[in-house]
Amino acid sequence: MASSKEIAAFLVNGNEYEVIIEPHLLLIDVLRDKLGLTGTKYACGAGDCGACTVLIDGRPSFSCLTLAVTAKGKSILTIEGVAEGNELDPIQQAFVDQGAVQCGFCTPGMILSTKALLDENPEPTRDEIKTALAGNLCRCTGYVKIVDAVEAAAAAMRDGGGR
Amino acid sequence: MTTDAFSEDAFSSVGRRLGRPDVAAKATGAALYGADITLPGMLIGRILMSPHAHARVAKIDVSKAKALPGVAAVITYDDVPKRGFTRSVMAEGLPSFAYEGENQDQFILSDKARYIGDWMAAVAAVDVYTAERALDLIEVEYEVLPAVFDPEEALEDGAPAVHDGWKDNVAGIIDHPFNRGDIEAALAASAHVVEFSGRNSRQKQAHMEPDVAIASWDSQGRLTVWSPCQNAHLAKKAMGRRVFDIGEGNVRWITPAVGGGFGARLSFGVEPVAAMLAKVAGKPVKVVVTREEDFNGWNSRTEQRQTIRIGVTEDGTINAIEQNVLSDAGAYFSHSGTISAVNMQSTLGVFRSPVVRGKATMVYTNNPTSSGMRGYGNPEGSFILQQAVDMAAEKCGMNPVEFRLKNAKGVGEPSMWEPQNLTSCALPACVEQGAEAIGWKDKWQGWGVEKQGRYRRGVGMSIMTHASGAGGFLLEHSTAVIKLNEDGSAQLSVSPCEMGQGILGTLSQIAAEATGLRYENIRVVTGDTDVTLFDIGTHASRSTYAIGNAVLDAGKKVRAAILHRAARRMDLFPEELGVRDGMVYAKADPGITISVADISREAIYDYGTDAEHIMATGKHQCVMHCPNFQAGFAEIEVDVETGVIKVLRLVIAHDIGRAINPLTVEGCLEGGAAQGLGYALTEDLVIDRQTGKVVSDSFATYKILSSLDMPEVEIILVEEPDPTGPFGAKGVGETGITNVAPSIANALYDAVGIRVHSLPMTPEKVLGALEATGPSTRPGPSARLSVAIGEVQARKAVPYS
Amino acid sequence: MMHRVLLPFEFSEPVTVAEAVSLVDGDRARALAGGVDLVLKLRLRQIVPERVVSLQKVRGLDHVRVDADAGGQAAAAGGRAEDGALHIGALATLRQVETAPAVRQRWPLLAEAIGSIVSVQTKAMGTVAGNLCVGTPASDVAPALYALGARMRIAGRDGEREIPIEQFFLDAGKTAVGPHEIVTEIVVPAPAAGSAGAFLKLSMTSEDIAKVNAAVMLTLAGGVCARAAISVGSAAPTPVRAAAAEKALTGRAIGAQAITEAADAAAEAVCPISDVRSTARYRKEMVRVLVRDALEKAAARAAAGKEA
Repeated sequence: MASSKEIAAFLVNGNEYEVIIEPHLLLIDVLRDKLGLTGTKYACGAGDCGACTVLIDGRPSFSCLTLAVTAKGKSILTIEGVAEGNELDPIQQAFVDQGAVQCGFCTPGMILSTKALLDENPEPTRDEIKTALAGNLCRCTGYVKIVDAVEAAAAAMRDGGGR
Repeated sequence: MTTDAFSEDAFSSVGRRLGRPDVAAKATGAALYGADITLPGMLIGRILMSPHAHARVAKIDVSKAKALPGVAAVITYDDVPKRGFTRSVMAEGLPSFAYEGENQDQFILSDKARYIGDWMAAVAAVDVYTAERALDLIEVEYEVLPAVFDPEEALEDGAPAVHDGWKDNVAGIIDHPFNRGDIEAALAASAHVVEFSGRNSRQKQAHMEPDVAIASWDSQGRLTVWSPCQNAHLAKKAMGRRVFDIGEGNVRWITPAVGGGFGARLSFGVEPVAAMLAKVAGKPVKVVVTREEDFNGWNSRTEQRQTIRIGVTEDGTINAIEQNVLSDAGAYFSHSGTISAVNMQSTLGVFRSPVVRGKATMVYTNNPTSSGMRGYGNPEGSFILQQAVDMAAEKCGMNPVEFRLKNAKGVGEPSMWEPQNLTSCALPACVEQGAEAIGWKDKWQGWGVEKQGRYRRGVGMSIMTHASGAGGFLLEHSTAVIKLNEDGSAQLSVSPCEMGQGILGTLSQIAAEATGLRYENIRVVTGDTDVTLFDIGTHASRSTYAIGNAVLDAGKKVRAAILHRAARRMDLFPEELGVRDGMVYAKADPGITISVADISREAIYDYGTDAEHIMATGKHQCVMHCPNFQAGFAEIEVDVETGVIKVLRLVIAHDIGRAINPLTVEGCLEGGAAQGLGYALTEDLVIDRQTGKVVSDSFATYKILSSLDMPEVEIILVEEPDPTGPFGAKGVGETGITNVAPSIANALYDAVGIRVHSLPMTPEKVLGALEATGPSTRPGPSARLSVAIGEVQARKAVPYS
Repeated sequence: MMHRVLLPFEFSEPVTVAEAVSLVDGDRARALAGGVDLVLKLRLRQIVPERVVSLQKVRGLDHVRVDADAGGQAAAAGGRAEDGALHIGALATLRQVETAPAVRQRWPLLAEAIGSIVSVQTKAMGTVAGNLCVGTPASDVAPALYALGARMRIAGRDGEREIPIEQFFLDAGKTAVGPHEIVTEIVVPAPAAGSAGAFLKLSMTSEDIAKVNAAVMLTLAGGVCARAAISVGSAAPTPVRAAAAEKALTGRAIGAQAITEAADAAAEAVCPISDVRSTARYRKEMVRVLVRDALEKAAARAAAGKEA
């Protein structure tokens, strides 16, 4: 079956990329295979686990269920774009310090969902944190220290004027 | 290994909640897992999996697939070496008499499908799009055979034979090695006998990283494999001696970042197929799978159907325990034997009993196969045992806490691997502190108390023991190397599998403490069998204990070498010096110091005759498996109208010996608790009994906990250092899971007077049991759930959406 | 069967409804809104369309707005009430609707139902209309919209039509949307004064499709039920409007007896199946429990003067 190839412009982590895509390509595969941004993870491909979460125009989205062609021209944030330079973002630092990272496979998606939460609600309660992360499954931590980390990140961002 | 000469008042690294060295990369997305790695010229591989549970391949035509542009290789059973192997890589660590009991029933690809998802063919192509199109072009004519999906049916006369030559489908029978005494006589002589039967579901490991492997052959016929493997040195042997005949030296195993293991990675995943494709294609091949394929496929807990009988004297002393296990091995033997053996060991090994009898039968069916899954038989056995124990306590009118304390083994008594005696056991403290934390004294009101209202609360408890390594029953040794760098940092070469449990940080802390270096200056080298020395790897919760002891050994030697050179420099005796935070100091006058960096640099840049690169090899080999212990408590609330069990609180009190890193240890226990809750209440691998299809083959239908489902979990670390552990530490990795289901089950009985005999304890089953005992739900004899279980087994694959 | 990648298809991005319906053609040319369901179906090869028609650039479909309320008189009169009604455009996401202040205030039942879908990403991407167009009786949004008397606006090549939501679901996985049609809007009348609702759901874990769900709306006047709407999901091939249960309540004083009879009638009205999530027997029994619990909750809210 023929389908139309096009050169598409993507804005990822503040950088512009030109990529040849076809309509049936998924955003997760464009990010990972064509842009080499392997931080976004394939874990289920079905929108059940959130490991592939990226922010599209600030909205937490499953990149495994997003046709790349619909993400053209939108502002996409992946885990690689969270830190600035070599310094960890307060969310990343909190995840590291609080023991919220075990195997790390859910971590990129978890951090992006956290970022979406804190961008909208800088002082979430523990229940609000759990609600914001309900679409991100973790098999290692039992979520306890992930919630601790989000709380710590929120506090650090309020005190230190995060980002 | 003793840790004299280290004072716990002055620990610099041990005991601290330090961040792990591998997590920053995971938080930035820089860590490379198998699927993230690309090699020049690499092809993508996909496997064709059988849609039938039992079928011979009458005809297979790969010509169209081969002709598709971009396809480099298509292989079938005809192309693979006719060398059978066991999927269990861990089995390479068994002594040979035991290894012979492991059925070598696996080939790289199958000529006969034995379960839905069995591997029939594979393709390697330039990209995944081409590879998937090629799979569609492979034409297979199957001769569908009658299949069997129930182990009891598989044992009946005339049942379909899953493997040719195994007419009765009995894959193996194991007698518990420590059977003693006449069980029937002992039970007959008991004042009370209780019996509890039940079964568990095939819990999936459900690690977030799907299985993956990259294989590449070099021009000299040497194979390199990248995969999330838990025992890389054993896998090297299995691949080099069993799958292929090339020898261990011709296999290099690289372990990238691993996205969760939980025992799944103790078996071959897609590595043999990747290796075969790479051989045929002449290029590196990365084989990828879908989550659905993982659910349908090649590992899960086994389903074990068990009956446990306990005989007790009038005063509540156990005088006989019997355990019978019928294990559904699935289509290939894999870990089913060793899991049953460990089940019996840990189940029959917790309590003191003069008479013990255990027997396990593993049966082939056309269900998916097994691999290790956290607890490795212990959660299966504990669910049955700890309920039987409560039943016995009730018969004697004893508090469940008292009954367990009375009968559990202690220091000096045989461990669960009986030739070894316990060198430490903090179980009484775990029980006492855990009971205090849950409020047992006030909340457990006694036997036969009927609760009122729609929402009824109950408390329950469970205890367990687990190995900290397989010393005594499997090959058990580790080697670690520490070498100093010129700047006072050190490389630590070890070969565990860091799969999230935090072992690299823990071993770094042990290394820092042992050498006197700063934790931040320990650089871990791991994940490459060409570089690291032989190690069993990570299983049996062994890594802190066994590899930690090897690191401690190496560290002490490095410290000695540092002090030896420093003593000469400072004109003192080595005994007069200490090392801490990278500085050598005179004990008599700590202001007099030399940095380790100086010592190390001078040793290398020695223009005389005494140049030295300060390094040491440390080894641990021990027949001790140094068991750890744990008490678990649950408080629940049951809605008697919906059957929903709401877990209000869990308390887990673990006999850790010494928590090298309490943050890490808590994380293991919390994560184990989450898996325990799933095992107890929500995770059910549902298999259609008509077709053998796994119906719950996605995270949408196989339910692990989300952030909103976790109840309050309190972790208590009881530290009574073990004399043989590194700084007194014992294992913990698997253990958080085991006490959860039985403590909830016992709390369920406390709340509403019923017991559920199969896992998970779903609301459907709870409600069925409540209805069977009558509307008053007066606590009484355990209710048989034939109605509820019958409904559960009759579920058909007719989804709404 | 799940695949790692999709099969190729042509792609269109119409900017008007007219253009969209000229392109949409059943399973040959499928409409894409949020993609949460369609892309999954493409991965599973449950549909293999030649063309995907993205609605994401169609103008005038992403609104969540309320008509000016003419004092609610039209609604109270029981006739067609455009005034004060909530209009949900086909591209409005679940999250958009859940968080809209007007929805939280005047249609809290709908916000409560959407709130039971806990995956933030699903709600950020997925649309309310898309959720309904999947045609699953397990939709969490459908029973709430049934209870609220929602109407579906559907555009086709011959113009627009409007049907009550009860006529929208035809069978498991099948809706009334024709091969050349798309949903453009969902219209939800303003609840009458003295109304309150409740939504309840049973599922294995929090992030899960319902085993059974139920939504009720009660309009009370002086402790007497003037109007009852009871809808149950996941218990039949489509969401069910439990008419007999509603009749059992209408005109009666709200109390344990009436509520019990209504709940029993609701349980009689459903024909659930056994599947991977639950058993038929359990679902049927839970319809009784959930409807009773929801009615009690709604009654309490109505009595407290909350619109719920």
